[in-house]
Amino acid sequence: MVLIIGGAYQGKLDYAKVVFFIEDNEIFACDGAEIDFSRRCIYRIEEFTLACVRENIDPTEYFRSHRERWKDSILICQDIFCGVVPLGEEMRAWRQATGRLCRYLSGEAAQVSRLFCGLEQRLK
Amino acid sequence: MTVFVSGGAKNGKSSFAQDLAVKLAKGGKHYYVATMIPSDEEDRERIRKHLADREGLGFETIECGRNILSCLDKAEKDATFLLDSVTALLMNELFPNPADGKMDTDAAWRCAEDLVTFAQSVRNAVFVSDYIYSDAACYDETTEVYRAGLAAIDRRLVAACDTVVEAAAGNFIVHKGEALL
Repeated sequence: MVLIIGGAYQGKLDYAKVVFFIEDNEIFACDGAEIDFSRRCIYRIEEFTLACVRENIDPTEYFRSHRERWKDSILICQDIFCGVVPLGEEMRAWRQATGRLCRYLSGEAAQVSRLFCGLEQRLK
Repeated sequence: MTVFVSGGAKNGKSSFAQDLAVKLAKGGKHYYVATMIPSDEEDRERIRKHLADREGLGFETIECGRNILSCLDKAEKDATFLLDSVTALLMNELFPNPADGKMDTDAAWRCAEDLVTFAQSVRNAVFVSDYIYSDAACYDETTEVYRAGLAAIDRRLVAACDTVVEAAAGNFIVHKGEALL
């Protein structure tokens, strides 16, 4: 599994498409608390974690329980956990849940890349 | 030589960029292109701090908040330019009349083109931007237009510059090119 993180609009998906030859029909863009792991590239994982927070689901447990299904996937998540602690409780929970999930996924990943203004920085 | 510097607020970008511009100038002419148009006392205080920081470094300050290529009319091009910041420039270009709050949706594209032309027109250029992409917040549409626009400019400039540096709590990560300091 490859984990790609980075800020908003930094070129994470563009990098994945070019380097791993991902076609548009292989991308699942998260928009709720369910993930279609049949797609090779799982994008916007931060939207999945936000939905999980709203539905009281632990996103790390969700990933752990589907491990066999994503162990060869390209996972893309925005690093929303770098800014100041938000005032709202939901945003705070989102920030923490996303940070924890990325830490778990980093541990499982063969490669971890961070995108900065379109440039890849290899973290693992 | 062209250099792009970004990073979080108060992480050392401006000081790093100033020292670097002085070094690149090698005793020659060096300009500080100030893009912020102050709108309140907090802005003016920040400008005073930056002016005090630059004292003794020999910069000639040019204030240019919009239409960035126009500042080259009043300057020697065979010199070193520190532009601080891309962030403020986009803000001014995105809102030509801050009072009416209307956005110029071509602003980011135009800024990116102008800044690349700027980089190609001078001996040395150092650009300072702000990394505002990694926080847990759902912003309004105007803020997202601004964030997406700044990211598009950053990526265009990063592709065009020789060296790309990220400031992180006073440390400097070189993402492209040589470590210069």
